[in-house]
Amino acid sequence: MLIVAVALVAGGVVVTKFLTSAIDYYCNVDEVGVRRGCDGDRRIRVQGIVRRDSLEKQDGSTVFTLEWNTKTLEVSYLGDPGGVFQECIPVVAHGRLVGEGFDSDRIEVKHTNEYVEKNETRFDQANNEAAACSVSQE
Amino acid sequence: MTPTGAHATTGTPATRRLGLVVCVLLVLLVLSGLWWSAEDVVQGSTVRIMYVHVPSIWVAYMAFALTAVCSGAYLSRGTRSVAWDRVAGASAEIGVLFVAVSLVTGSLWGRLTWGTYWVWDARLTSTAFLFITYVGYLAVRRLGGTLRQRARRSAVLALLAVLEIPLVHFSVELWRSLHQEASVANPNAKVEMDGLMLFTLMLGLATFTALFVWLVLHRQRVILLEDTVADRGLDEAIASRRDEAGAR
Repeated sequence: MLIVAVALVAGGVVVTKFLTSAIDYYCNVDEVGVRRGCDGDRRIRVQGIVRRDSLEKQDGSTVFTLEWNTKTLEVSYLGDPGGVFQECIPVVAHGRLVGEGFDSDRIEVKHTNEYVEKNETRFDQANNEAAACSVSQE
Repeated sequence: MTPTGAHATTGTPATRRLGLVVCVLLVLLVLSGLWWSAEDVVQGSTVRIMYVHVPSIWVAYMAFALTAVCSGAYLSRGTRSVAWDRVAGASAEIGVLFVAVSLVTGSLWGRLTWGTYWVWDARLTSTAFLFITYVGYLAVRRLGGTLRQRARRSAVLALLAVLEIPLVHFSVELWRSLHQEASVANPNAKVEMDGLMLFTLMLGLATFTALFVWLVLHRQRVILLEDTVADRGLDEAIASRRDEAGAR
């Protein structure tokens, strides 16, 4: 009976966390301030692709441009994002809108379901770099 | 059937041969996963976690589906044998084990690629809920009562719990999730994975499936032995009470 009770409580906690975390995990860059739940005056999660040649390190901060469906957002993150963070990769930034930019305190990398062997890139690196930044924006 | 003599073991010549096949497949999977297949262009060597992570959740889905099928068979009038319940229970136990493996390997993979061990997105949350549901199922199996009571209540629960599987699998299509869409079993039927990586993933699926079959065969026989021992204990207790009553 104790295990059943523990399982019920754990299930309740998981469902509660899910519902309070929002069923849709993020808003896309082009939905900020437009879509319901993506309002600019509260803490949100924004998803987009790190624009090529936009990544800079400034005084311990990482600054880059998030892009989605031609809309852009300047993101500032204090520190070095973990995972496989790099240009041309989709990421989810947690934080708040500050003026025209986005002040983020957490970055998560949202890698795609494409898997490409590394040795093939040696032969045609330019093509692969171009492909890496052409993630579907749907 | 009593657990004596030749019946006291859970192995047969067939399961021993299957065990040998599983060992060979595991060795091939380790070689292919760690040495033969290349690194991923974005994730590097981290991608190798996929060869355990994906087969683990595949086996869990399969295990819970088998639990549901056996539960349905038990509840059907024509096939009401406790043997179905034993296979259902064995399969659920192994499913829980493999969901746990999937959650742990996924968490490690997430730390290395996403930059975090855990997020409360649709896929991860629904998988955690699936795990808790089947832990609950196993707990319900141990509530006590006769074998038929155990079989009936757990069969009903198994038929409800299996409905979570499509929800877990399609959560990345239904809602926006940090977890990527399925690479192989996706609605677009589009596989975007280079040759040897795909081969290694398929090898992993075959290996883990064979391992699952081997584990279920042994575990359901262990459950049979446990039930037999429990029955014997009950028979002895009843005989003892009758002796006491006769002595008065």
